[in-house]
Amino acid sequence: MFIDMHCHSVSSDDSRATVEQYLKWVQVLRKRGHRVDGIVLTEHRKFDAGHDYSSLASQYGVVVLKGSELDTRYGHFLVYGVTDRLLRAVNFADVAMDAVELVRYARECGAIAVPAHPGRFGIGFIEYIDGGPDFSGVEIVEYLNGGSRRGENERGQELADQRKLLGIGGSDAHFVSAIATCMTEFPRAIHSEGELVEGLYAGQFRPVRLEETNHQSPG
Amino acid sequence: MPRYFDDVEMGEELGPLETTATDASVREFCEVWGTGSANRFTDHEAARKEGLTGAIVPGIMSMALLSQLLTQWADGGSVKKLDVVFRQLVPHNIPLRIVGVVTDKNQVAGENLVECDVYLETGQGDRMVGGKATLSLPRKE
Repeated sequence: MFIDMHCHSVSSDDSRATVEQYLKWVQVLRKRGHRVDGIVLTEHRKFDAGHDYSSLASQYGVVVLKGSELDTRYGHFLVYGVTDRLLRAVNFADVAMDAVELVRYARECGAIAVPAHPGRFGIGFIEYIDGGPDFSGVEIVEYLNGGSRRGENERGQELADQRKLLGIGGSDAHFVSAIATCMTEFPRAIHSEGELVEGLYAGQFRPVRLEETNHQSPG
Repeated sequence: MPRYFDDVEMGEELGPLETTATDASVREFCEVWGTGSANRFTDHEAARKEGLTGAIVPGIMSMALLSQLLTQWADGGSVKKLDVVFRQLVPHNIPLRIVGVVTDKNQVAGENLVECDVYLETGQGDRMVGGKATLSLPRKE
């Protein structure tokens, strides 16, 4: 199953795409022979608990899950499996939160926090990992990010290789046509945030580019 | 030749429009805009004093370049809206690519509207400015 693990709808202040526009674009990608099974909305500094996308998901045949992208003093972190307990424990709007605490709270609350675009120059997780706090709780990084500049994903992958971290992929889409440019392949079907967290803790997944899903490509 | 709504399909690509915002062309733009005196847009030293690595292209000029792609493509139509997000500073004197793609088409209140994503990229494809545009196109009789 191919899931875009990182995208932003108009609920984030810097995105210009609605969820329905993303799902319509997924149909264009499918017509081109690509495979896209799901997306995870990771809005900036918030969790959209009140939004229900189940009817859109059903209409377009795309799994739509929700997570968050939080600012921390050690870079951005994607959070999957957000629960009420985690929302009570962590102020999602705090742009200077302690990422170590976030990772710990997330695990305690049945969620998981993952550094986003860790190789980003100046602000990525890689800038803080040496000489910083103990990040041994981080086991996964998003080293395939569709919004990265040249060299940033390579830096992230190098970090993952050195520290034996697992990698996920996400488009980081803020515009319609960027959805699903990078995704994560899971061996099992995932239809809920809980199954997504289980899949991540199981450790069986890999980051993929959209082009790798094209079953119509020759050879 | 006019671009007709009937012929446009989702996923259709616009451009690329390739250009370079040179020191001279930015200065010329700023003179027309009314900000021609030495500043972070027109003078590398003034930009460095503000902590930049060199002079940058004004955001409104980046929008003008995106609009140029749209108006060239939508011959016979018009740009109804251009909503832009500035992701990175755009430096002078590097090759720029302006590209777009049709993401939707709808008929609303008698108008034939086409939605596009547009991007201003470096020559290597790194996206510095992104936008969402709404165009109105004529229909074939």
